[in-house]
Amino acid sequence: MTVSFDRSIIGREFDHTELEPITAEEILEFIAVTGETEPPPALADLVAPPTFVVRVRGQRFVPPNLAGVTSGLDAGKDIEFGVPIRPGDVLTSVSTVHDIYEKTGRSGIMSFVVLRTVVTNQRGEQVAVIDQRMMFR
Amino acid sequence: MILDLHTHSDASDDSRAPVETYLKWLARKRDVLPIDGIVLTEHRQWNPAQDYRRLEDHYGILILRGAEVETDYGHVLVYGVNADITRRFDFSDVRLAAQEVITAVTHMGGIALPCHPGRPTIGLCAHYATKPPIEGVVAVEALNGGSRRGENERVQHLIERYGYRAVGGSDSHLVSHIGICATEFDRDIHDVEELVQALHAGGYRPVDFRNGLRQGAR
Repeated sequence: MTVSFDRSIIGREFDHTELEPITAEEILEFIAVTGETEPPPALADLVAPPTFVVRVRGQRFVPPNLAGVTSGLDAGKDIEFGVPIRPGDVLTSVSTVHDIYEKTGRSGIMSFVVLRTVVTNQRGEQVAVIDQRMMFR
Repeated sequence: MILDLHTHSDASDDSRAPVETYLKWLARKRDVLPIDGIVLTEHRQWNPAQDYRRLEDHYGILILRGAEVETDYGHVLVYGVNADITRRFDFSDVRLAAQEVITAVTHMGGIALPCHPGRPTIGLCAHYATKPPIEGVVAVEALNGGSRRGENERVQHLIERYGYRAVGGSDSHLVSHIGICATEFDRDIHDVEELVQALHAGGYRPVDFRNGLRQGAR
């Protein structure tokens, strides 16, 4: 059975979250788990690795219209990186339904929902645009 | 002249290959991939706005555009897309009627060829097992670089039974897959109108450049 979604929800904002200030400890911990062997720079020069931004979580991961769907599959994400994240930054994430489409493959019809999260810092600078693709059937 | 008739760039949702990187790869691999041109056949869309003339001139590789649409008989490559065709068909619709696409595209000056016919669900062979054949099919993609073992071989009986001509394409979604399968034409092709004419007229065959060896399939 194919899952179908109401395309009128495209563009609709479903989450707007201001996060706690980023700490140096969080960044250092992330650097460590990536396997970096070089010693970290001095605190004043510390920036987060670009992929740190995938830690950003709003309060709602999917829009309420999709909440009843339980068979979704993570179909990958595209990230456009902006300015770096530094200790003390206060990030805001705003999530919208960016696209909904269908495609057919060897196993039949699949429905895709692209959830776009735009992350900005306290200066309004764009930190990242994250397009999370979810597949449903 | 050798053209890769089936390619996807990062304009498709499932490819991360920029067009220029394809061209850089082909320029570097010219000794084993003698591809004269590529046709971008993005999934379920038609966007003629992008201008590739600078890249064509710089790399000496022809860039043409088509589309891969999805129908009730599987996926179909459309060449010669024009305003009449895009007015008639919503390329994002994954339930297009294949017979309408084949017939109407031809009437509107293009040509539509079923691709990867040997694949389950989205290939012609599976649908011919339960439905009548489509009228007006000129050729099928007998050699597809993305097909799994046995899927290209399954197409041979279609060609023999229905007299279809055969083309080849890489179906590349990754840079290193561009040009691994292609179509060799007896005539030179300079634009999409000449491609459509050539596909209708005949005088072409799939060529396989995988494993560093050129293998023709006549």
